[in-house]
Amino acid sequence: MKKLLVVLAVLIMTLPIYALAQEPVATEEPTAEVTEKPKEFVVYADKNARVNHYIPSGWMGDYGDIKLNDQDMQSPHSGTTCMQFSYSAKKSQTQGWAGVFWQNPPNNWGSKKGGFDLTGMTKLTFWVRGAKGGEIIQKFKVGGITGTYPDTAEVETGPVELTDTWKQYTINLSGKDLSYISGGFCWVTTADLNPDGAIFYLDNIKFEADPSLKPEAKKTESMPFYVYADRSSINNHFIPSGWMGDYGDIKYDGASKEDPYLGDSCIKIVYNGQAAQGARWAGIFWQNPANNWGTVDAGFDLSKATKLTFWARGAKGGERIEEFKAGGIMGEYSDSDSASIGPVILNQEWTQYTVDLKGKDLSYIIGGFCWATNIDVNPEGATFYLDEIKYE
Amino acid sequence: MKKFYFGLIIFFVFLTITGAAPKPKVHIKKLKNGHYQLMVENKPYIVKGVCYNPIPIGSNHEYDWWSDQNKPWIADGKLMQEMGVNTIRLYQCHENTEEVKQVIRDFYELYGIRSILGHWVGFWEYPCPFYGDKDFQGKIKKEILEMVNLYKDEPGVLFWTLGNENNYSFSGRVNAWSTDEIDKDPDPQKRIFMRAKIYYSFINDLAKEIKKIDPNHPVALGNGELVGLDIANQFSPDIDIVASIIYRGKTFGNIFKSIKATFDKPVVLSEFGADSYDAYKNLEDQNMQAFFLESQWRQIYENLANNPEGAGNCLGGTLFEWTDEWWKHNEYDPQGWKVHDIESNWSNGSYYFDIKAKGNKNMNEEWFGIVALSEELENGINKRIPRKSFYVIREFWKNPQLKAQGTRHKAQDKK
Repeated sequence: MKKLLVVLAVLIMTLPIYALAQEPVATEEPTAEVTEKPKEFVVYADKNARVNHYIPSGWMGDYGDIKLNDQDMQSPHSGTTCMQFSYSAKKSQTQGWAGVFWQNPPNNWGSKKGGFDLTGMTKLTFWVRGAKGGEIIQKFKVGGITGTYPDTAEVETGPVELTDTWKQYTINLSGKDLSYISGGFCWVTTADLNPDGAIFYLDNIKFEADPSLKPEAKKTESMPFYVYADRSSINNHFIPSGWMGDYGDIKYDGASKEDPYLGDSCIKIVYNGQAAQGARWAGIFWQNPANNWGTVDAGFDLSKATKLTFWARGAKGGERIEEFKAGGIMGEYSDSDSASIGPVILNQEWTQYTVDLKGKDLSYIIGGFCWATNIDVNPEGATFYLDEIKYE
Repeated sequence: MKKFYFGLIIFFVFLTITGAAPKPKVHIKKLKNGHYQLMVENKPYIVKGVCYNPIPIGSNHEYDWWSDQNKPWIADGKLMQEMGVNTIRLYQCHENTEEVKQVIRDFYELYGIRSILGHWVGFWEYPCPFYGDKDFQGKIKKEILEMVNLYKDEPGVLFWTLGNENNYSFSGRVNAWSTDEIDKDPDPQKRIFMRAKIYYSFINDLAKEIKKIDPNHPVALGNGELVGLDIANQFSPDIDIVASIIYRGKTFGNIFKSIKATFDKPVVLSEFGADSYDAYKNLEDQNMQAFFLESQWRQIYENLANNPEGAGNCLGGTLFEWTDEWWKHNEYDPQGWKVHDIESNWSNGSYYFDIKAKGNKNMNEEWFGIVALSEELENGINKRIPRKSFYVIREFWKNPQLKAQGTRHKAQDKK
């Protein structure tokens, strides 16, 4: 009997070890060399699944607006559970956006070594559905964590308008350097895109090795190509994230209802001319992705555009904007060209302005639109409105 | 026999025609494919140049190096020759004409290096450059024509450059100037246009006058970036070359094609470069400077004539600059002129390696030289210590490998 108990005890102890050895993962040790060529590497399969490799710990922006049920069992795509995210769009942290990063180890923003070597994987696939359909996720992303131990790649897709049935999406990673990825997956959305919030479900998130997949060719975007159409428009392709100069002097409302030129909303900008940062000027660049000052390889090919048009008006009339610009961001990945108009003295009525782009090289544009002004020409500040900013 | 006489007549007619219109010593040749070449004594010439202002440690820009008994240009010319430099850019000549001639002659006769002679076109006149004022124009014109008359017969002169970044005054942000008529117009865009029209018309007038007395050297328009060139296209048709000042990091972007579309003149990059101090890591980084400069020279070569993948309108460049200038961080502090300052005054995201420096200030004005200065004296001047860029560019010029559109081929380099 004693012998039987000993055998049983040994068997129970060895089973998990055996199971671990069978796991078809790319590598269990961060940054360790890949010895085999596994066909997939799971981010999330089911609650507590041993194949899960990343943790949805990186809550960003208005994190107070996010609720997560990580074992929703009502109708997972497969297995027993899926993840339900509820985004309230209440702007709890006054950011206007929120998102979640799947990290390894949890809460690692690049300060710890935790990236996996996913060399050989060529795509990330995931299943997603909205509770009602029509929810908009600004982007889904792989990699992009910076810090002392930065990810070697950052690839994103979006915006995506969800359906109320499960749908699979793919992020093409072919040709990307995946030798160190600590941010396995991420979603981000905004209150403007989902004014009433959004409930959505995610399941079966995994990297896959598909040798037949080729690197994504740069797509020449068709026209018109919007910078800003309306607050919730899926066609808004750039983010007004590049606040410059006296950024403390600026208030931005991308969902103003004050007499929009077209649609249900326009952009309202209040520049108070207080020189909060001592620069005596201020401006905003619309970027892709947010805060990209030429550090991320993410320019749109807008070669078909011959002009950038937008509508603008001043609250009083007479507000002076020194420059409206397309392109011109310079960094490791620079805009391929730039064009501008200005100074412009705004009318009280909506007026359309055009930046001529003929002869310009628009094959790579990170900075879709920009305005800048200063105290000297607006000593009492300036309130102005923008709408229908688009490449044509 | 008739055929023989006919042939003789044709031959003499040909001789008469060609003899009646000798090519200027330095001129621009437009090729059949629309590309441009700078021709010097009927041979294609690529400007492989440096901006030259050899201010010693402990002095500022007012130092009269032209009169320096130690003749720093003798040591510099020798080093330049070793590197392959064939041109220097001089921003403005000194008042003592004999000393200027000596410098030009020494560079040319000892080392075969030619000089681009520039003039500020009154940009730094106090209180501002009154380009709309006829008396001001007359004064500047007199100075410039005197310069041309004095040096046009120097064999070492390559061409004339008028102005530098004077076009930045059109917006009123730098050295603002105006006229009553301009001030009356409420539209700021029109005011910019009116200033540009006045300035570029004046430049064109200068170019025409220069050509009357010196048909042997082209006239270049110094211009900050491409700002205003669409207006120059209307009012400066007699300009031969655009001499553009560009600081865009590893790339010049679309400037070559853009100039072709807006103001179809050949281009010399008259100021470009990179500093060698990493303001983020707080240490000298010669690799960083060499990386940017090699990339810039590659783009210059890709856009020379007869490269089907380039714009074909580039004539070369004069990089900024030959030696460091230790006075630049604070020109009013004599103590600071003796210190190689590591503080930066301005930011440029195109130079991205150190853009995370405090306040994003990453441009170190005192570290732009491809030759460093030592406090140790050698033959009476600060010892010259070539940086990595010196060697990298030297090797590139010897064997310019291009990578345009995935192909590698040798650039045209006849000189």
